[in-house]
Amino acid sequence: MRFTISREKLQEGLAAVASAVPSKTTLPVLANLLVQTTEKGIRISGTDLDIAVSTEVIADVEAAGAITIPARKLSEIARELPPAPVKISAAGDQRITLECGRSKFKLLGLPKSEFPSFPAVKFEKALRIPSGDLQKLISHTAFAASTEESRPILNGVLWELRPEHMRMVATNGHRLAKMDVPVKTASGPSSDLIIPPKALEQIRRLFPAEEELEVAQGENHLGFRSPFTAVYTRLIEGPYPSYDQVIPRDNDKYAIIDKVALTGALKRMSVVASDQTHRIRLSFNSGMLKFSVSTPDLGEAQDELPVRYNGDPLDIGFNAAYLLEILRYLPTEEIRLTFKAPERAATIEPEGWSDSAKYLCLLMPLRLVD
Amino acid sequence: MPRILLADADAFFVAVARSVDPEGAGKSALLIVGGRPGSRGVVCSASYETRAFGVRSAMSIAQALRLCPDAMCVPVPRQACSDASRAIRRVLERFTPVVEGASIDEWYLDLGGTEALYHHESLDVTARKIREAVKTETGLSLSIGGGSNKLIAKLAAERAKPSRSPAAGGVWIVDEGSEPAFMNDVTLAEIPGIGPKLQERLRGVGLVTVRETLAHEMPTLERWVGPKTAAWLHGRVRGMSATAVEYRDRSRQISREETFGKDIADASKLVSELRYLAAKAAGDLRAAGLAARTITVKLRTNDFETHSAGRTLPDPVESDRGVAEPAVALLEKLRAKHRAPARLVGVSLSNLTSYRVTEQLTMFEAPAVEGVVPERERDRDLSRAVDRVREKFGDDAIRTGPPRRVPIGEKGAKKPRSS
Repeated sequence: MRFTISREKLQEGLAAVASAVPSKTTLPVLANLLVQTTEKGIRISGTDLDIAVSTEVIADVEAAGAITIPARKLSEIARELPPAPVKISAAGDQRITLECGRSKFKLLGLPKSEFPSFPAVKFEKALRIPSGDLQKLISHTAFAASTEESRPILNGVLWELRPEHMRMVATNGHRLAKMDVPVKTASGPSSDLIIPPKALEQIRRLFPAEEELEVAQGENHLGFRSPFTAVYTRLIEGPYPSYDQVIPRDNDKYAIIDKVALTGALKRMSVVASDQTHRIRLSFNSGMLKFSVSTPDLGEAQDELPVRYNGDPLDIGFNAAYLLEILRYLPTEEIRLTFKAPERAATIEPEGWSDSAKYLCLLMPLRLVD
Repeated sequence: MPRILLADADAFFVAVARSVDPEGAGKSALLIVGGRPGSRGVVCSASYETRAFGVRSAMSIAQALRLCPDAMCVPVPRQACSDASRAIRRVLERFTPVVEGASIDEWYLDLGGTEALYHHESLDVTARKIREAVKTETGLSLSIGGGSNKLIAKLAAERAKPSRSPAAGGVWIVDEGSEPAFMNDVTLAEIPGIGPKLQERLRGVGLVTVRETLAHEMPTLERWVGPKTAAWLHGRVRGMSATAVEYRDRSRQISREETFGKDIADASKLVSELRYLAAKAAGDLRAAGLAARTITVKLRTNDFETHSAGRTLPDPVESDRGVAEPAVALLEKLRAKHRAPARLVGVSLSNLTSYRVTEQLTMFEAPAVEGVVPERERDRDLSRAVDRVREKFGDDAIRTGPPRRVPIGEKGAKKPRSS
């Protein structure tokens, strides 16, 4: 195998796949990248067995072949190379030579036969989905997935594909984020997929918004493909909890609040809130939202914010960290909060959002014990 | 220089047993605390006089009585012991705010920064005042060791014991700078953390005393016991210990166990015993305002083998059912491997947190894990309601069915032993 590639193209390819390479692994070949020659250049692939990423970059191929190269060392070398074409060649199964200007490196690789094969995903029946829609869904929902190991299903993001729309939902049981976007072109049959957020992050990062992606399902895997790049991910087996039942339909109190002002007040209150529960008390009254926090052995704080509030006075407790996190993802200047009672779910939505997407966050309160 | 004391109550259980029964136990020189003769308990503590016969704690009562047939055996006066322990602690807290309870009868005191308060008197003088105050107010004797860290204080307290040095008057302080000379006379077995296994290994390379160990350099020790143990041992034999005295009054584990009068072979009977103990432990947990994430079940079979199995739950539990269900599942796991009749069963709760974390309301009820339905809000409500009833009408006023041994309301229900 022998090819010449520009330093920039090599760096670009490595940057795309590097994050799929596990930092620690018991299987040595996973610390390597698979480099294969193609018609137009080379394809670089990396995997941690949960996620696999592969990307093709333009190169001048002199002799076809494939080999695996230590990922971290190759990235470190590529970063330090002088601005000159890079010649990479492999002699036999393991010995790699890299030359660039007057610099010369010899690296030991592993035979390509040791590299795990990619999941069998047939793209013939692939759905075609605008990358921008997917990015929007991911960036507004994936944050809410659980990181606790006790319920693996909640570690994933639910992706519902329907003829008219598609939806992503993520929750850790305390807060939930849900977004719908309409589907412009009629796609395939309805399906529910549960995807690790780590894979979604790669998808959001690697595919430009204007591209159209091919999405296809294998037995336990899902593949996303654009002309140059492909991401494969393991699917989490369901069923996902019936989140729809917990979304309140009878919340009869609502407040419309300036997001920046609310964020500021919550951040101030958080300073004095408990490190464990982050509990703050919100007291809604017509025209005024009062904040208060009291933490034993630490102190107290109060704040106020004029708001538009409709409903009977309400005192409700929240984990300020959860509330602040949701506010970060809301796209509008004003937000709408709805409530039923102090121990029932509250919803948070963008107010006055002129977008075809529908976005809803749900937050379970903290019990106020005096 | 840091001023650390370890106050250790002398023959604590024996002294308390004597104080609650001055006419019986109080008059018996040969006294064993742990259980009545014929019971299947173990020795919790024994008077100095019986120790001369070879009686040691953790020995079965039957064996202790074979060694010392004339001894009087009494059960552990649990309530009196915890009352006495609290009374001692209250006195100690008058001398310094930093009191760390190491066990029911041992406390570390940090007197750092109190020099001016005690008019720059020596630590020895202050220790004697503390000892005097505890004796006057509780009637119990302490042995107090002191030095520049917890390790030195602990070893010095052993030296202060009346059985060891009758002339010390119950106080032994290691002055600053004299730690090396003090350590030279210590045997490795005395150092906390050097258990029987490590002692055996060290004896194998000819090391029994600190003096012998000091003669060897690190590389030699590393070759003998591995780098990690060597580094630790190297510091310990030089009297070094970096752990600070922390104010602590909270138990790190809550447990209940019971040695049965007759071995239990019947699985359902054993399960109901465990449920009872689990509910008791859960009650202790709630009374302390805590919740537990780790549940461990102990099973001792009639061949004296002790087995245990534990599980850490995703969320802390505090209700009777929340504790009992995982405990029963663990017992079944143990019984699958060890089918011999059971002599003892116990449950212990650890990984304790204040139960305020359950204030966060959740959307979904957690699904069953390994066949155990996790604790629900209604379980917690139920247990709290039961607690309120018991507070008002007594422990036996309300029970979960089916009835265990003694019908509700009848006196004489055998109390399980807590530990």
